[in-house]
Amino acid sequence: MLLNIVKSTALVALASCILNAGEFNAQAEKDRIALADYTVAKFKDAEKNRDNFFPYSTDAELKKNIKKGVTFEELAMGNYAFSIQGQFSYNEIKEMPPYEELIEAGEEMYNGNKAIKACFPDTTIAGDYPFFDQTKNEVVTLTSAINECLVNAGQKKWKEKKGKMPILQSYFSYQTMEAEKKVNIKIPSAKAAEAYERGKEYYYTQRGYLKLSCATCHVQGAGKRVRNESLSQLTGQTTHFPVYRLKWGKDKVANGLGTLERRMAGCIKDQGQVPPKTSSSQMKELLYFMAYMSNGMNVDGPDVRK
Amino acid sequence: MKKLYSVVAATGLALALSGCGGDAVSTPVMEKEKLDEKTICNIKTNGMAAVLASAEKYNAMAKKNGLEFKRLGMTNSQYVSGSKEAMKSGAKKVVLLNKKGKATKKSVSVEYAVQRACKFAVSALTQAQTGKNTWRAAVPGDGFTY
Repeated sequence: MLLNIVKSTALVALASCILNAGEFNAQAEKDRIALADYTVAKFKDAEKNRDNFFPYSTDAELKKNIKKGVTFEELAMGNYAFSIQGQFSYNEIKEMPPYEELIEAGEEMYNGNKAIKACFPDTTIAGDYPFFDQTKNEVVTLTSAINECLVNAGQKKWKEKKGKMPILQSYFSYQTMEAEKKVNIKIPSAKAAEAYERGKEYYYTQRGYLKLSCATCHVQGAGKRVRNESLSQLTGQTTHFPVYRLKWGKDKVANGLGTLERRMAGCIKDQGQVPPKTSSSQMKELLYFMAYMSNGMNVDGPDVRK
Repeated sequence: MKKLYSVVAATGLALALSGCGGDAVSTPVMEKEKLDEKTICNIKTNGMAAVLASAEKYNAMAKKNGLEFKRLGMTNSQYVSGSKEAMKSGAKKVVLLNKKGKATKKSVSVEYAVQRACKFAVSALTQAQTGKNTWRAAVPGDGFTY
């Protein structure tokens, strides 16, 4: 009897794992599609749907600044997908983007570092990070993978927010964009699905003394105006990193580029909370969730932001 | 019949052990007591020293759970330590710090700093507790409808 139970248990456990193996991303996929549908509906016709999505915006604001009929693919551009005024200044900056020389510096950095070259033989990988490492049972970001590679080769870790790190990442991102690859985040196991859920909970939970969640501004608040800026939407938020922010680069061009971790830390501070450390599991899981929400979109980095 | 029993028992056990289809999400360790910010942080009834002690106690818990508040570059730990130093030295003001931890030209009264430190510490914890039950209300396709 006992032996039968043990045998059956093993069989049922194995069968249960096999049956569920292809469905670990079922909830994430449901979330991603629901979010994309909401965002596309929001920007279909802002003036017509103002009562539902933009109750506090003026007629002029919606007419002059919010584009109609924004598609899912266009959302990869962040808030420039819908902001007419933002897109005007964005296009002007893109004629001579300030990060161009930094991509070249990243390429030199890549070719000059044997360890990095050995760890990342394929440079078109920006859309595949973060991924869930099934042996360590943790999320690996591009930042943490680069630093792990350096440490394993006996080199010093790089800073995770600015400096060499985003410069090298800008080269990877550019190569990925040139190869026309898409964001391709996978959820391969139950542990990975749990990490995704924790990241999702972090994104949607109110925090800080201002009692804001990330979603307050970037899901329900997407497209609304804060001072003179239109808030970007979660769908497509990670496709264009690292970004060059004019604010970051005002003193030194090289400091203008920042990793996604740098941007998120700044955003969480703006919520009125001490942000999690850039290499913490909390931060990595948050980025994992965010990147999944951009699955299927073109990698479009590096890019420029105000 | 015996076989049926063993299959039912095995299925239950397997589902419990496998963790393959589960939706389990870990929750941060946090004290389950009900915290009332207005009562705990009331300087008139509790006195400044007790409120500061509460601020220190609850802020340590908030920090441990990654919930510590920060306002204009100054963390709540800095509000707590600034208030402690001021009370020790008998100063009437707590100087506010910038994001690099350096003193700015701005200051607040010690009472104000103590109360803020306490309110920030307690509400970081209560907000997180409430958030456990409310965050899904903001998720499209889940609790959020439009």
